[in-house]
Amino acid sequence: MDTRTDSLSPLTVAWLALVALTLASLALGEWTAAAPWLPLLMAAVIWAKCAIVADHFLEANRAHPFIRRVVQTFIALAPIALVLITLFGPEIARWTTLD
Amino acid sequence: MINGTLAPAGAALPAGRIPGNWGIWVGITCEFVEFALLFAVYFIARAHFPEAFHAGPGQLSTTAGTAITLLMVTSSYCIAGSVHAMRRDRRRSAVIWLTVALLVALGYPAVKYLEIGWNLAHGIDSEAGIFVTVYYYLTLNHLVHASWGILGILFVLGRLASGGYTADNHAGLEALGSYWHATDMIWLVMFPLFYLLA
Repeated sequence: MDTRTDSLSPLTVAWLALVALTLASLALGEWTAAAPWLPLLMAAVIWAKCAIVADHFLEANRAHPFIRRVVQTFIALAPIALVLITLFGPEIARWTTLD
Repeated sequence: MINGTLAPAGAALPAGRIPGNWGIWVGITCEFVEFALLFAVYFIARAHFPEAFHAGPGQLSTTAGTAITLLMVTSSYCIAGSVHAMRRDRRRSAVIWLTVALLVALGYPAVKYLEIGWNLAHGIDSEAGIFVTVYYYLTLNHLVHASWGILGILFVLGRLASGGYTADNHAGLEALGSYWHATDMIWLVMFPLFYLLA
């Protein structure tokens, strides 16, 4: 949260951006469900939404370095995993087979 | 190390501070580790059963998933609004923001209840395959975490309304906000994975 000004507008803009990205991802999922690039775009949207929450609501960008790193690492995990699964799904399935 | 209790009212936040307190960040870190493991379960299952995960989102109620997403981001916004007001010593405004956050957050279990009823009516139960098993495993786990958060909102709202926090000492309110925002981020990952990504 921005305490340099008295305005609530940075928080409101962040919230509106989250709503807009949610509706945009909904439209993408409905209209381009079969597109091979959809998982890559969804990975970007996931990261963008989490980064907005982290920076504007959680204030992780101004937090203690440990907290900042924990948050940055967590919000990068799922998008990276989604990209890897999209590009190397069969290989990852083979690596994670026990027999 | 600087936490929320030492930030002067209305002043710019110092870099390197601790939102809330260290205790809540131990909990949030554990929550992140838990869900990182659960996401690993999702991605490994997705790698092994791509057809099931391709067809899966089409079975679920996109309306329910979207509604929960909007409820989560809106309640997060309201809690951030409450902290914003408290920092400026506007306790009445902070109480109103947090009350609205509570009401919006309560929409989550209500929608989830309706969603599970809809699922069962459409045969989406524990025997409906690997995608549905992983979906229930992760989303019900998230609901448990959100329920703890709702109980936290109730507790902090009581403290806030009874004058338990000041502009210079409201680490408890910030700690609640940190937990809820972290739980919000986890849902923002889960929403496209289960409801959109065919």
